[in-house]
Amino acid sequence: MSTPWKYERIRILNKRVLALIGIFVLLISVLIFRLFYLQIIEGDKYRQLAEKNRTAIRLTLPTRGVIYDRNGVRLAENHKKFQAVLIREETKNYQRTLDNFRKIIPLDDEEIHRIAKEIKHKRAFMPIRIKDNLTFKEAALLQMNATDLIGLHIEEETTRLYPLKADASHVVGYVSLLSDKDMEQDPDNPLLDLPGYRIGRIGIEESLQDRLKGKPGIRKTEINAYGRSVRILEEEKPSKGENITLTIDSRLQKFATKRMGEDAGAVVVLDIYTGEILTMVSTPSFDSNVFTMPIPTKVWRNIIDNEKKPLQNKAINGMYSPGSIFKLVVALAGLESGYITPQRKIFCSGRLQLGNQYFHCWKRYGHEHLTIEEALMYSCDVYFYQVAQEIGVEKILEVAQRLGFGEETSLMLTGEKNGLLPSPLWKKSHHKDNWRMGDTLNLSIGQGFLTATPIQMARAVAQIANGGKKLNMTLIKDSNIQRASAYLGFNQKHIQIVKNGMDMVVNKKGGTAYKVQFDMNGQKMAGKTASTQVRRISMKERHSGVISQDKLPWKYRDHGMFAAFAPIAKPRFAIVVVVEHGGGGSSSAAPIASDIMQEVLRLYPSENSIKKDK
Amino acid sequence: MSFFKERNCYLKNYNLSFIDKIKRFNYKYLFLICSVVFIGIGILYSAANGHWQPWASRQFLRFLLSLGVLIFVSFVNLRIWMKYAYWIYGIGILLLIGVALFGHVGMGAQRWLNLGFINLQPSEVMKIALILALSKYFHSSSLSDIHSIQYMIPPALMMILPVSLILMQPDLGTALMLVFATGAIFFVVGVQVWKFLIVLITVSGCIPILWSFLHDYQKQRVLTFLNPENDPLGAGYHIMQSKITLGSGGLFGKGFMESTQSRLNFLPEKQTDFIFTVLSEEFGFFGSASLICLYLIIILYGFYISFRCNSFFGKVLAIGLTVNFALYVFINIGMVMGLLPVVGVPLPLVSYGGTAMMTLFLGFGLIQSVYINRDMVIGRRGSIEDE
Repeated sequence: MSTPWKYERIRILNKRVLALIGIFVLLISVLIFRLFYLQIIEGDKYRQLAEKNRTAIRLTLPTRGVIYDRNGVRLAENHKKFQAVLIREETKNYQRTLDNFRKIIPLDDEEIHRIAKEIKHKRAFMPIRIKDNLTFKEAALLQMNATDLIGLHIEEETTRLYPLKADASHVVGYVSLLSDKDMEQDPDNPLLDLPGYRIGRIGIEESLQDRLKGKPGIRKTEINAYGRSVRILEEEKPSKGENITLTIDSRLQKFATKRMGEDAGAVVVLDIYTGEILTMVSTPSFDSNVFTMPIPTKVWRNIIDNEKKPLQNKAINGMYSPGSIFKLVVALAGLESGYITPQRKIFCSGRLQLGNQYFHCWKRYGHEHLTIEEALMYSCDVYFYQVAQEIGVEKILEVAQRLGFGEETSLMLTGEKNGLLPSPLWKKSHHKDNWRMGDTLNLSIGQGFLTATPIQMARAVAQIANGGKKLNMTLIKDSNIQRASAYLGFNQKHIQIVKNGMDMVVNKKGGTAYKVQFDMNGQKMAGKTASTQVRRISMKERHSGVISQDKLPWKYRDHGMFAAFAPIAKPRFAIVVVVEHGGGGSSSAAPIASDIMQEVLRLYPSENSIKKDK
Repeated sequence: MSFFKERNCYLKNYNLSFIDKIKRFNYKYLFLICSVVFIGIGILYSAANGHWQPWASRQFLRFLLSLGVLIFVSFVNLRIWMKYAYWIYGIGILLLIGVALFGHVGMGAQRWLNLGFINLQPSEVMKIALILALSKYFHSSSLSDIHSIQYMIPPALMMILPVSLILMQPDLGTALMLVFATGAIFFVVGVQVWKFLIVLITVSGCIPILWSFLHDYQKQRVLTFLNPENDPLGAGYHIMQSKITLGSGGLFGKGFMESTQSRLNFLPEKQTDFIFTVLSEEFGFFGSASLICLYLIIILYGFYISFRCNSFFGKVLAIGLTVNFALYVFINIGMVMGLLPVVGVPLPLVSYGGTAMMTLFLGFGLIQSVYINRDMVIGRRGSIEDE
């Protein structure tokens, strides 16, 4: 039927088709092997990549803990504010929405510029912030006009509110948005990328940041290729930060701030048994609320340029020569060393000669014969020169150290300074010079190298007032209050003598703070004034008569200080007031301290005493 | 008796009755093809996140239409196809020229011709037309003819003409498929292997020259194919995401409609060329390997039909069409797996698209026609010869 040539080519064709089938089976095997490789061998890798593709983990902001004062008054709370955001894809004409928005709430050029920038860079479904910090009223107004504002959403936003404003800003602190520097410091913390995340900056907001901040919620969402959230896969709600109750009494805090008025300085009031700080004021102050939002440059400059340094918490950060307040320490040292006895009188001629140098008393022609109590009462300088000369620097330093000079307190606030308790060894290493008797004499009246913070002075006075017990100061109200119980090792009689001297300063005619004495149903205050020079008085000036304080420029005037405790019979509270460049302590700081102490005693009458001495 | 009946058919096969044709139709083969189509419709349903719209329902309508075409084509006498093979080829060429002159541009290439009622892609039609023409050409050639170079010039030109027109569109994938299909036909009809080697060596020598003729996007595709990780957000995005989609399926897959890559649109145009990855993601290695095996069975069935066919024209036609189908499979799957550059070849019977489905069914109709007329003896000029 068929010719041989036909058989021949069919034979070839069949052979070639078989070869083709072989090639195809091989190719199919290659495909299946490749499939096996991608899906089984490398499957895990691709599964992870797919998972990474489709999921986005977003953190949700936790609510920060509330800060209360000791009576439950809110010092820092969370306040709901509203912000308007625009989602462009929801409207055909977002420009119309923007124009209508501006008819209701005007926008400034800076904002318009920012919005234009965001519109350019963000995808259509990403919300663009139009305006934040809207009041409830404004938000309601926008809601009412919703039909003209297609694509506009009102979002709730939590901000921090400080009801006391400037009155407690240093101690409570503030929270603020992150700077680029914060981001650099902790680049792996995803919380920092969250819009609206704020961290504590100073005061308690900073030192208790970890307890206040809470735990962020985690929201795992499924996203599509364009980055849009499709649904929530998992959600862990954020947990609120811990509420903190402070030992601060907001009423006193307000009172003290108001009483300080225009003066720059610090006030510390504390419970001498528990170490609880009732008041910590530094003036001038600033409104904490200003810092929770980006600060306008003008406001910032005003704060920075103020020579009275509003940002500084002078109570813990200000270092002052304690001046005559330090005489309490020297008196105690003299008594402890046995050089001074209650009856022993020392003569003050108005100056003390050391080699060819004269050390002057503040009273030109001297105090004549004085007991230790009288020396404190009049704040005689020569008396303490004499004591210091006799007992030596080491004894003074030892007592000062026991009372906490040169040592940080337990408040744990950032920015706290240690002050400086100088020593021969310190002088040798820092000034390459030997300690001289002149240094000892300067130290004895709280001048020279010695510096201390108001909080340290307050601790020293409180430890004298409580009978020489070691005090741990605190700002945080704790249910199990640790009452001071460990003695610092002073003789009770010696402590009493120093306290008597402080009593006389206020309550005996001629005392440096006699003007500010008060008697609230038998409750009196005992204290010690101090005026410390911030400039050297030259020999020439001393001869021609020391220039009156109010004739000097503000920054050359003496610092006025007053340290006190009350009531004398049953001491409970200690106070330190520092008025920078206030002139004399008796004229500037003492009246303020007296007023504040009276307020303290009014608020805490003895029958409702927070802690009675056993 | 039955032998006699067979014999009778053999002698008078040009007079096969309609009933005979229905009887001789290969239903197993049709069943295999339809199952792949149904798998495809299921994946399209899933790719649209569980909706018949916009792809699955329309694909089903196209399937019905194509099925009609298949049945019609298979019932046409094989000799008629041989008789008009060159005419069909000529029409294909004219359509390609029409595309070059009047075609409309889509996705950067001029491939479609609007005929008023249908958007025709002549390059798809050309695949069938060229195979038909070549089958006819070799029907009457002897081995010595085939071994002579002059004799091979016309079929070579038959291939080169449409390939050049398609390259101008430009459509590298289809052009390559035509070249490979022609090569396979040359191979089975008996062209010596050394000639293939010479061509292969010559072409590789010309690659630098060819490179300069490629469009930038084609160059980009080849470069991206060589190293997709280089440009993960740009041109490499497709290949990377394709591999992720595929690989993340694992052994058993994420389950029907549970794909994440596809549902969340990480793969653009997943319903067309990258549909295989959706199947792989949802049904894993088992699912995708099964589909590949199904394809292999269809391919082997095509070769089986060529073995069963008596006429040389039918044999070559069945082989050519089967190779064409196999090329779709290899190129598409190789492409989504990152074995080949992205050249825009759909997954046959599965990818969403009308012309490809129609052309494939036309091809299967021709194979069915070959099977129905398997015992027919066709003379040199297409007539019944009593040799």
